[in-house]
Amino acid sequence: MSMLARRTVLNRATAPLAAAPAGARNMATLREIELRLKSVRNIQKITNSMKVVASTKLAKAQRAMQAGKQYGIANAEVFAHTATDKPSTNRLFVVISSDKGLCGGIHSSVTKATRKALNNTEDSPLAATTAEAPVDAESPVMVIGDKSKAQLIRSVGGNLRLTFNQIGRDIPTFADAAGVADLIVKSGVKYDSVVLVYNKFVSAISYEPASMVVKGEEALRESNAFKAYENEDDVTKDLAEFSLANAIFATLTEGHACEQSSRRNAMDNASKNAGEMIGTLQMQYNRGRQAAITNELVDIITGASVVSIFLPSLQFVCSHPLDGWPATTMP
Amino acid sequence: MSSLRLISSAARRVSSFSLQKRGYAEVNDKLKLSLVLPHQSIFTSTDVVQVNIAAEGGDMGILANHVPSIEALRPGVLEVIETAGGSKKWFTSSGFATVHPNNTLTINVVEAAPLENFSAEAIRSNLQEALKVASGSGSEADKAEARIEADVYESLQHALGK
Repeated sequence: MSMLARRTVLNRATAPLAAAPAGARNMATLREIELRLKSVRNIQKITNSMKVVASTKLAKAQRAMQAGKQYGIANAEVFAHTATDKPSTNRLFVVISSDKGLCGGIHSSVTKATRKALNNTEDSPLAATTAEAPVDAESPVMVIGDKSKAQLIRSVGGNLRLTFNQIGRDIPTFADAAGVADLIVKSGVKYDSVVLVYNKFVSAISYEPASMVVKGEEALRESNAFKAYENEDDVTKDLAEFSLANAIFATLTEGHACEQSSRRNAMDNASKNAGEMIGTLQMQYNRGRQAAITNELVDIITGASVVSIFLPSLQFVCSHPLDGWPATTMP
Repeated sequence: MSSLRLISSAARRVSSFSLQKRGYAEVNDKLKLSLVLPHQSIFTSTDVVQVNIAAEGGDMGILANHVPSIEALRPGVLEVIETAGGSKKWFTSSGFATVHPNNTLTINVVEAAPLENFSAEAIRSNLQEALKVASGSGSEADKAEARIEADVYESLQHALGK
């Protein structure tokens, strides 16, 4: 009996080498699969809660964007009526992004658009206006948000003049925009117009990089159409600065809504992918477990049948060596 | 028969045309107003009869077909006279009002609230506070800020007293 027991033990130990390598490997990876399943489940929980947070923030951000957009439209009205007679080449680029990632490709889309604008490519967001006055590749660039800053510093590091962060964590306020505009004015960078590169909210699932041009004081003064306006106290300088703050505010709110919407979508996709992964891993795990169980059963049955083969023979070995053999082999 | 129908339809068209024309002329007498705050749009291209603003250069009323002009606003009362519903008053912070050549008026202000929402009590106590800081021993910038604050409260008090 003890010898038989030893044999089954031996059998099991040598199984990985010869008898059933598949089942044995499953036994080894079952634990790994379980660990992976656990971590994927955790990731899904995180992405799912990020999605829920982004969804609630999105509703607020979209409301802020509606108001901000109207504010921007009213602000841009004066620029729509004052076409510049002399094309300006002295542009200052302000890139509107934010500090946080995990929101799809919206930061790189504004970065790419800025690079395209600086290189005067055909699909640059400024393509319509740069026909007669190409963008100077050395144009100064300012960046709001660490994400785009990190991307732009590699390609156009020499152009960067100012960068801002800590803006756009929550809904942008007018104070944020006024602060940025104030620093731009104080920075001493000379410009005829400011080009704001931002993400435009097309729909809840699509955004495209766009640009908004704000004319500076000099450019406004030089425009003939601007002279048609009655301007008694000469408030041109104030108007230019106020307009810049307004435009920054409008683009900040729109960019923020895009970011939240994009984050929601990205997290939704991540949760879905995690769900799929959990499905396949669970299947693999169950199969492996089943295989291990089957293997064990096979071992047990084999063992049992061997025992039932040998036990009777041990019993009858003294009297009738061949008695009972056919009956006991097939229980 | 068919000619009769033609005449009648032509007559109908003529009458509808004249109606349309009259309606169009009426719209022309109005001003398209956009009054927007960073966090709220009060009017967006709404037809109104008259808008009274408190500009830096003095109070002024703007009617339809005003000369294009740019006015910096000082904190004060902004009155909008709509077609039927009488006038509404807001107290606004500083900003810009711009009359454009296409008979639109855009007003961008940083903050505005209906005049009836202000509490005279709160204004009085805040004015005291601001005056105290303005005459206190803070930095020049703080004092200047408090002076502006006090000015706003004074004009607000004045607006409510009217």
